[in-house]
Amino acid sequence: MRMDSEKIRRIDETKIEIPIDYKRGMRVRGIIYVDETLQKDLEDQSIDQVANVATLPGIVESSMAMPDVHTGYGFAIGGVAAFDLKDGIVSPGGVGYDINCGVRLLKSNLLREDVLTKMKDLVSILYNEIPSGVGSKGRVRLGPDDEKKILLKGARWAVEQGFGDASDLEKIESGGCIDGADPSLISKKAYERGRAQQGTLGSGNHFLEVQYIDEIYDEKAANSLGFFPGQVTVMIHTGSRGFGHQVCTDFLEVMEKAAGKYKIELSDKELACAPFSSPEARDYLASMRAAANYAWANRQCIMHWTREAFFKVFSISPKKLGMELIYDVAHNIAKIEEHEVNGRKMKLIVHRKGATRAFPPGHPELPEIYRPLGQPVLIPGDMGRASYVLLGTEKAMKETFGSTCHGAGRIMSRHQAIKKAKGRAIWREMEDKGIIVRSAGRETLAEEMSEAYKDVSNVVEVVHKAGISKKVARLRPIGVIKG
Amino acid sequence: MEKFKILDISGDVGLTAFGKSKNEVFINAAIGMYSLITGLDAVATTQTIDVSVESHSPDGLLVSWLNELIFHFDAYGFIGKKIDIKEFSEKQISATVAGEEFDAGRHEGKLLIKAATYHKLRIEKMNDSWEIDVIFDI
Repeated sequence: MRMDSEKIRRIDETKIEIPIDYKRGMRVRGIIYVDETLQKDLEDQSIDQVANVATLPGIVESSMAMPDVHTGYGFAIGGVAAFDLKDGIVSPGGVGYDINCGVRLLKSNLLREDVLTKMKDLVSILYNEIPSGVGSKGRVRLGPDDEKKILLKGARWAVEQGFGDASDLEKIESGGCIDGADPSLISKKAYERGRAQQGTLGSGNHFLEVQYIDEIYDEKAANSLGFFPGQVTVMIHTGSRGFGHQVCTDFLEVMEKAAGKYKIELSDKELACAPFSSPEARDYLASMRAAANYAWANRQCIMHWTREAFFKVFSISPKKLGMELIYDVAHNIAKIEEHEVNGRKMKLIVHRKGATRAFPPGHPELPEIYRPLGQPVLIPGDMGRASYVLLGTEKAMKETFGSTCHGAGRIMSRHQAIKKAKGRAIWREMEDKGIIVRSAGRETLAEEMSEAYKDVSNVVEVVHKAGISKKVARLRPIGVIKG
Repeated sequence: MEKFKILDISGDVGLTAFGKSKNEVFINAAIGMYSLITGLDAVATTQTIDVSVESHSPDGLLVSWLNELIFHFDAYGFIGKKIDIKEFSEKQISATVAGEEFDAGRHEGKLLIKAATYHKLRIEKMNDSWEIDVIFDI
């Protein structure tokens, strides 16, 4: 055990405190939402990263991390940090490389029994319809003007092209299009990388899953969302692909120079940042928003092809199939939001890196249909266990700038996982559990096996107990497409 | 001398590259990275690309070098196998990379590497050799 880890204090059952004297230069304390079980998996380096973020200028209240925290670049993954617009900073490292990596969930009118005999067909059609894996190209061919339109319009662009319905848009965070994107700031390289990747799933931990609802925790909320036991759902997890990565790469360089120019001391190069009011920060945010819109269009296209695949396999009318969007959340993003700090309403720039917005009932940014309920929060787990639907709460608004966890979080390196899977047929193990998987990469399944992740149920239990979101339903996978 | 080995970290993937000179260790880091994307035995050297990068720091030069090669793969599918560095100074690298376009029918898709990072980056001169640690976002 390290010397300074003695300074870490448990606040209550669900959170620990990294005191302000843990590290020189901390302006606020750090808070990590973990119970005693998850604390055992907590890496020293993640704690250090939460403390490093607390040293950045203009940070408000505390540097936070969610229970799925693990070591990232600069900022820990699972981190939430809000900065004052006057003295605070903006950092690409607080958003992550995959800008607007996020999750969307669709429901259907089908029951698990209706689909089980057709799962192999369904999974192989989905796999063929939705490009995934290394070197895959999208089905949408884009000219430079099309790409600019995507950056300005997000999911709305996809709907205009006939991918999905206008009614989908209100069920997407920020309506699937965040204002203030500026395509003129985007590098030629980002455009080149983005050209062939719109409408692709990608690789790594990105996936498309066919699932069913196996447990309902809040009957009233589940009814309002149109959920019932055994109901088939589809979850899509992907982001802004090479486009967003290039934007992040481009701006890390800009921000490193900016940090020097504005004399911001950095304990880690990946924390590179600039004052909110600087032209560098303004340009980054306008570019980040463009990438966020690229990601919303991407998930919209993929959802459209998912619906088409279902129509093909089940040959019933769209209306009967009832494949409606439940919600779409971003879990790598920075947004200007209004929050109450010391009894005063303030505009802040909230960085969520591997954390999900979890706004409470009545919040003005929620669409009318969800205003009485609170914002749906979508938490994907690993491919063998479960995923969750939660709702945002008032307590999240008070404690975590309206934020909660985003997933399971790895415990095993990819290399370890591959070693552990040697000689095993992961696809067959999954099939024995009733889950049909298809993957483009041979090693992807080994890297992504359940054992490589924390149990998402433990993560969700912490945020539920802490009251920063509340459980509505658990979803079990029956079909998985991986990159 | 071993050219590179995989560095074990949770979440993403890294490499330690070795070389007798700084020139060689930069090449081996790039070859190591390519071999994480696909098996290089199946890659032919039928095309070449010229790349040139600049940076104001040694760490920045390495990150820009690898990110430039990632860009050519991610945007155009170009996968390299042989690298010839033409010019190498403190702040600039120019090189010719020989390889071919990735073809999912012939080439195995391993990891989709999306960026080289500064996380735990190390460029070190040992007694009579060089070493690099670099971690990739995937």
